[in-house]
Amino acid sequence: MPLDSSRSSTSGRLPVKMHRRVCLVQTEDALLAEEILARKKLAQDIVGRLTDRVLLIRPGRVEAVLAELQKMGHTPSLKQGEKETRG
Amino acid sequence: MTESVDTLSWLDRVEATLNRYHEGLVREVAGRLVKPRNHWPVEELIARSLETIGNTPVLDRRVAELPLASRQTLALIGHSRQPVWALGNLIEMVMALGHENGLGAVLDLLNAGLLFPVLDTFWTNSKVKLATFEHWLGVVGSTTLLVFSPPEIAQRAIGVEFDLPELAVETLSPTTVLEADGAEFLLRLGVLWQRVAESPLRRTQTGGLFKRDVDRVSQDALLNAPPPDALVTVPDLGFWILSLGEVEGVIREQDGEVRAGALPTSWQNGLWSALQSMTANLFRLRVWSPIDGWRGGEEVIGNPFPSAYLLLLMLLAKLEKDRWSDCATLESWLHAHHPFWTGESVRPSQRKPWVETFLLGLAYPLRLVQAARSLEGNTLVRLSPLGRWVLGLGGVPPLPPQFPKTLMVQPNLEIIAYRQGLTPQLIARLTRFASWKTLGAACQLQLEPETVYRALEQGESFDSLARALEQHGTRATPQPVLDSLRTWANKRERITVYPSAALLEFTTPADLNEAITRGLPVVRLSETLALVANEEQIDFRHFRLAGTRDYGLPPERCVEVEEDGVTLIVDVVRSDLMLETELPRFAELIDRNVATGKRRYRLTPASLARARAEGFTLSLLETWFQQRTGDAATPAARLLMQGGQLPSPSLRRHLVLHVEHVEIADGLMQWPPSRERIAERLGPTALSIAEEHLNELILRLGELGIRLRPDAIDSPSADRGS
Repeated sequence: MPLDSSRSSTSGRLPVKMHRRVCLVQTEDALLAEEILARKKLAQDIVGRLTDRVLLIRPGRVEAVLAELQKMGHTPSLKQGEKETRG
Repeated sequence: MTESVDTLSWLDRVEATLNRYHEGLVREVAGRLVKPRNHWPVEELIARSLETIGNTPVLDRRVAELPLASRQTLALIGHSRQPVWALGNLIEMVMALGHENGLGAVLDLLNAGLLFPVLDTFWTNSKVKLATFEHWLGVVGSTTLLVFSPPEIAQRAIGVEFDLPELAVETLSPTTVLEADGAEFLLRLGVLWQRVAESPLRRTQTGGLFKRDVDRVSQDALLNAPPPDALVTVPDLGFWILSLGEVEGVIREQDGEVRAGALPTSWQNGLWSALQSMTANLFRLRVWSPIDGWRGGEEVIGNPFPSAYLLLLMLLAKLEKDRWSDCATLESWLHAHHPFWTGESVRPSQRKPWVETFLLGLAYPLRLVQAARSLEGNTLVRLSPLGRWVLGLGGVPPLPPQFPKTLMVQPNLEIIAYRQGLTPQLIARLTRFASWKTLGAACQLQLEPETVYRALEQGESFDSLARALEQHGTRATPQPVLDSLRTWANKRERITVYPSAALLEFTTPADLNEAITRGLPVVRLSETLALVANEEQIDFRHFRLAGTRDYGLPPERCVEVEEDGVTLIVDVVRSDLMLETELPRFAELIDRNVATGKRRYRLTPASLARARAEGFTLSLLETWFQQRTGDAATPAARLLMQGGQLPSPSLRRHLVLHVEHVEIADGLMQWPPSRERIAERLGPTALSIAEEHLNELILRLGELGIRLRPDAIDSPSADRGS
């Protein structure tokens, strides 16, 4: 992605594009991501696959995704910054 | 009591309350508390009042200046360790101590700035400021009037003498003195927490519970079973635990439901701290009484029991060492002195004996009192060393012997917990990761996937659980138990959900590597993408933002459609991750132009067929076009999307009749004999004719004197090759 043509140096500031308030699901392996993607109820809430283990969730749908993952028998951990809370 | 009482410090509460006072009242109260020599602004007076509350010598002088009734009132609050009291209960206690003007004693404290009203929503939501305390008393609300005195103040009054009799009974010293271990209510609160964590209780509008939940609580075997060392029967024991759980914060109300809260922090400070907290909260219980049991959850205004509880404990405090009293004697004194029972209008049902239920059913399990059986067969009571300490009348008693190795973990995932080794900390820990099955001298628990998941969700890990079982187990934890714990823990760690992460998109993989080398708290997701669980963790000194996209905002338009209706040009600077992940689902990347910052995708029959197979619908495509291009989906896109679902088109052979002028075509379309032979009008001067109507049309045109040129008639036949 052409963020900036000027190069950063090892001591300088690194050019980045920041995506704020993103909702993601990260799985242990790609197979588990496939399993989640194949779940029809989740398909509507998953925007797409960012990497083979990372799925992008539609904004505002995290609770529904958590509930559906739990229905599937998973026990997802919820990470909000420093603290880890119940899923 | 309002929620803010629990969340603010007591001095914050005082400040907030003084800010709701009218200026005149602030000056009056501060005049007695601070005794200012100058005319200070109100804000300054409030600040100095707070300073005075923290100044022990000045505070002692102010307490000493009070009339005896007020000092005794303040001392009772101090002994109770409960800063918040119902106004009526304070008045009852003052009157029971022999003072006729109970309200006067309380008003003196309010005017002296040593006691403060708990202002309900009427005061906190209105612009009206409190001008006099009589004004506050006159506003009739739906809840009990409450007052509070910060511990810094009330504790200074402890030591004031009470004119209470020593109600000792003459008896030979009993040989066996009974003292509870103090664990009973802690265990039951643990059970209550688990029950509510499994399924919340639903509140009715009047504050009670729905029938299904009333049945759940009243029929719960563990909550309602008599304690193994029970001396009396406690009515509605399950609801007593429920009421205690609410004031202890073990359960909390949210959106009309009662849900599991946090297990009290006082439990982490040991048994004495946990019991002291529960004792202080005894005086806040307003929905359960030793006579009627649970009152349906509805707060009863004029509940005399909190004041009666404290008076009973203070009466026991008057007993000389090694002397005992009995419940009947104490009850007689209470009925003769407490204004609730001395009143003539008290119903006979309210005169039923209840002191035994309180002292032996509640105070005894809380380890506040010791019990004994006299030689005559009467049950005797006296304060325990812990009871004296809780009331501020004695030093901290030595802790009971510790037995850290108190769990027997069995291969079938059962845990036997020997009660003598259970501490509040261990009860809290066990409550989180195992399910209580029986309570007794040896309690039985069960490790289950759900209970372990719950513990993991609350910060435990396989290592911490295994360590806890090792630390408290009487022998090594069986391997099958460790295997189960590991399986359950691993399962949980397979999926992580980040509800509000920040993603950093680097220009090159080298930049991401550089960020990691610098030790920044990022998690690599791909060659150029890294995740930070919380934006606050980002040190922006290391980054130059080339763009920011907030996913809490609606999707941005960043796609243009070329004329062909299937080529999509993405403006990469304005695009976001959602677009980047959405597009590959239904379009193919053609090229990316780094120089222009544009990226081209194309809709193809194959890409849309693949999307359809994955659940992508026409309506999602329409929404996407509206959000990202600002227009409806192009006809070509709709065609490709619907492709195979459209009715099959038919291929038919038609002749085209070309006429010289529009008027001729109009006439042919209007004149019925010719109109019936024309299939459709193709253009201003072109008409389509089905082959089978050709001869008929030639005849009709002949009637008009129009003759078709033969070449036009012959060619279709030639095409047919007939």
